[in-house]
Amino acid sequence: MKNYLQEIWRTRYFWLALVHMDIRARYRGSALGLGWSLLNPIAMTGIFCVVFATLFQQNIATFAPYALTGLTLWNFISQTMAMGCNTFHQAEAYIRQHPVPMAIYPLRLVLANAFHLMIALVLAIILATWGTGFAGVLPLLSLIPSLCLIVVMGWSVACLLGLMNVYFRDVKHLTDVGLQVVMYLTPIWYPEKLLREKGLAWLVNANPLVPFLHLVRAPLLDHQMPDLETYGAALLVASAFFLLAAWSLKAREPKLIYFL
Amino acid sequence: MAHIRLENINLTFFVKQDTGFTLKDFLVGGFFRKHYKPPMQVQALDNLNLEIHDGQKLGVIGHNGAGKSTLLKMMAGIYKPTSGIRDVNGRISSLFDIALGFEQEATGWENIRFRCYLQGETPASVRSKQNEIAEFSELGEFLDMPVRFYSAGMRVRLAFSIATAINPEILLIDEVLSAGDLAFQAKAHERMRHMIARARLMVMVSHDLDSTARLCDRIAWLEHGKIRQIGPAAEMVKAYREWSHNSSGKGKNKTGGTVTTAA
Repeated sequence: MKNYLQEIWRTRYFWLALVHMDIRARYRGSALGLGWSLLNPIAMTGIFCVVFATLFQQNIATFAPYALTGLTLWNFISQTMAMGCNTFHQAEAYIRQHPVPMAIYPLRLVLANAFHLMIALVLAIILATWGTGFAGVLPLLSLIPSLCLIVVMGWSVACLLGLMNVYFRDVKHLTDVGLQVVMYLTPIWYPEKLLREKGLAWLVNANPLVPFLHLVRAPLLDHQMPDLETYGAALLVASAFFLLAAWSLKAREPKLIYFL
Repeated sequence: MAHIRLENINLTFFVKQDTGFTLKDFLVGGFFRKHYKPPMQVQALDNLNLEIHDGQKLGVIGHNGAGKSTLLKMMAGIYKPTSGIRDVNGRISSLFDIALGFEQEATGWENIRFRCYLQGETPASVRSKQNEIAEFSELGEFLDMPVRFYSAGMRVRLAFSIATAINPEILLIDEVLSAGDLAFQAKAHERMRHMIARARLMVMVSHDLDSTARLCDRIAWLEHGKIRQIGPAAEMVKAYREWSHNSSGKGKNKTGGTVTTAA
């Protein structure tokens, strides 16, 4: 275990260089560049504001940051899951040449995605400050550990999906379908209150993504630290997924190369 | 002191059959126990024992499928032995499939950095090496272009230049002696010799018997995942040549024989 972590640290220049390249490569050659990771959630938020703020009779000043935080986090989750399926296949040539810890390949993916998440979060903070006022220093600082939890969660999910996809190629297609379903089941852009009022509270409570949404929304929208229940749930979900991913990787890593 | 010690090493491969094991196979096979094809098993290394000490240069020869590349990849730690003891002391540098694994969208310069980092370099040591690598590759301003625009020959040149810019302790080489056009090959052989001279211990796999004999002091002859014979380079090459010659002759006779019997 200790050796494994040391190896990850020893190869840090390699995976950090790849993360750096992934970040730049995504928008290479486009005029707007990094602006695209802002424009996507902005455009979607704009549309939702026009349609749903009217439909759900929401106040735009609170609804816009609500939708933007939801979309920002959702983009991170859906991209991490969709790309996660290919994470080991993509690294096949490296895996065949050098015995470096395979945990770095999902790490490469999740760090590049986390970078885009952070940019969009800065935008969300600005929008929320405009809509609801300054959140306060402590609630904003609470975003840092929350982000770490989200990254751990992202790594675990990407690693699990990547491993599963090596053995069953169908996982990638299942993930695409699953993401669509989860998107409609999660209060990303429609108000969570609506579900609770209509007697669908269990749907919110059973959704493992909801605690992570709360982690981001509590400071930005309600100007307070996330409550203990949210921390407890997010910690539980993240550590459960992390342990499962780490255990699966440990069990599968030695033989993974034969199945690539 | 670098050394490699292999004791009773067995290595069994799993080879997936055709399309692989889909979720459908899993569900259907899981419920009805049919249509399920288990992965094929191949015994690539069979109870192999080998010891290589500091200062030794070992060549590995044998026909295709004898387990030469598997042996090398197992020494490198890429394949884990199914059973047995693999005891390696020293930092390993390996040259396998070097033309693979470029980041297509990244430029030649960037790929030099990625490869060097993967080989265990640090930003400081890469800075001191990258100009020398670029110069040896003779790629000039092509290095500013994404690798996806390179021809196959250019890729091999770049890969070879990076892979041989190391200061190896234990060096494992698999068939990389032929890189680029003729002029480049002469240069490449020279550079290879220098790198091998710097290594404390080397194991190389090649079908080129003459260069193997020239670069190595000992040769192991591998057959069906076992060491058939091991000894001084010149003797082994001679023995292997004789055997190849005889067995190809025998092979012909055998086939002829079978045909006659059948008729």
